[in-house]
Amino acid sequence: MKLLNEFTKGIWKKNPILVIGIGLCPVLAVTSSVTNALWMMVATTFVLVCSNILVSAVKSITPGHIRIPIFITIIATFVIVVELVLKAYQPEVYKALGIFIPLIVVNCIILGRAEEFASKNTIIPSIADGLGMGLGFGLTLVFLAFFREILGANTLLGYTFIPGMQPATALIMAPGGFIILGLMLWGMNKINSKNN
Amino acid sequence: MKNLLKPTIVLGTIALISGITLAALNTITSSRIEALSRDKEQRALAQVLPGYTNIVEKEKSINGKAASYWVGEKQIDGKKQFGYAFIASKSGYSGDVVSMIGVSEKLIIEGIFILQQTETPGLGSRAEEVISDLNFWDFLAGKKEAEKKRPWFQRQFTGLNSAAEMKIVKKGNWTESNKDELLKNNEITAITGATITTSAVKRSIEAAVNDFKDIIKPADDGVDNETIK
Repeated sequence: MKLLNEFTKGIWKKNPILVIGIGLCPVLAVTSSVTNALWMMVATTFVLVCSNILVSAVKSITPGHIRIPIFITIIATFVIVVELVLKAYQPEVYKALGIFIPLIVVNCIILGRAEEFASKNTIIPSIADGLGMGLGFGLTLVFLAFFREILGANTLLGYTFIPGMQPATALIMAPGGFIILGLMLWGMNKINSKNN
Repeated sequence: MKNLLKPTIVLGTIALISGITLAALNTITSSRIEALSRDKEQRALAQVLPGYTNIVEKEKSINGKAASYWVGEKQIDGKKQFGYAFIASKSGYSGDVVSMIGVSEKLIIEGIFILQQTETPGLGSRAEEVISDLNFWDFLAGKKEAEKKRPWFQRQFTGLNSAAEMKIVKKGNWTESNKDELLKNNEITAITGATITTSAVKRSIEAAVNDFKDIIKPADDGVDNETIK
């Protein structure tokens, strides 16, 4: 039960983007298409789960004052793994996500979870936490990308959505991302306040 | 001393393990990544010099630096014509936009192929966007596309005269309905919201054509003179 709780908190109650408000740079940058958002979800969740496992495994031998360099070394290793694998086997995806793959290293969600959760808990809860946070981050991206791609480019997964419709290009640009993100925050708070 | 030793050993060990892992992974993937990039040059040449054969790579010095170019030949109405391909690069919105340009000996663009760009996803990077003929509902219904298309942004350059001024206009995407008019006026339609990327490609073509102007000459001067007479 507790494990399930560690998993679900990342998706709703402590959603890294909508509640904690971290990792906003890729949120705006890769949500111009659903395909990019899905790949970003896979990449980030992989790095998050792997780094949580290792950080949790080495927590007893980690000297407190150099924990950040250790966490970053672990995170960077997995990011390079993702980068090399994508480059070799999914070059199109690598090209579409571009600089945002290497930038996963500095995504504060990953360092944040290592510091706040994995370094204080055992491996199994850390996996649950990583999966939940990764999915919470990813699903928010996909949801945001769904609206931006349909309204801003009139496409979905790269295919024309409504033939002949003129898209609202502003939504595909960064300001449009902020507007839809704001509406999502409003929607989430509305639901939460109703439940309370 | 003890306070110094333990952190050093722990961080050193972790970095060592990380280094070994990545070196191993790099060995596995590097040959494939290299093959992909070599393959890309061949694919680019096929796109920018369509129909040309005997393509050979040559070198020329530009401002003291060696630059590669390719020369191919093609028979048009029984006459041998040369086609030239070279690399063009200008800085776009974020980083260089590098492309391969193919021109005929009359400086008409045969094709362009963007080799490398790091423009904003969703805006400038749409220079490599391929728009499917199918819409989303066809896709759900399971229809498949007949052939893989090339990005519309790059296709629109084919047929333009690189020696005359190429104008950038804002007419949305390049489509079946506006392509003839754009070609007639020697115009390029900009990627919506990414005029800087569009202009980087255009300027890179102009600069490269200027750099390579002296090597571009008709295959058979004699035949040309005859027609002038």
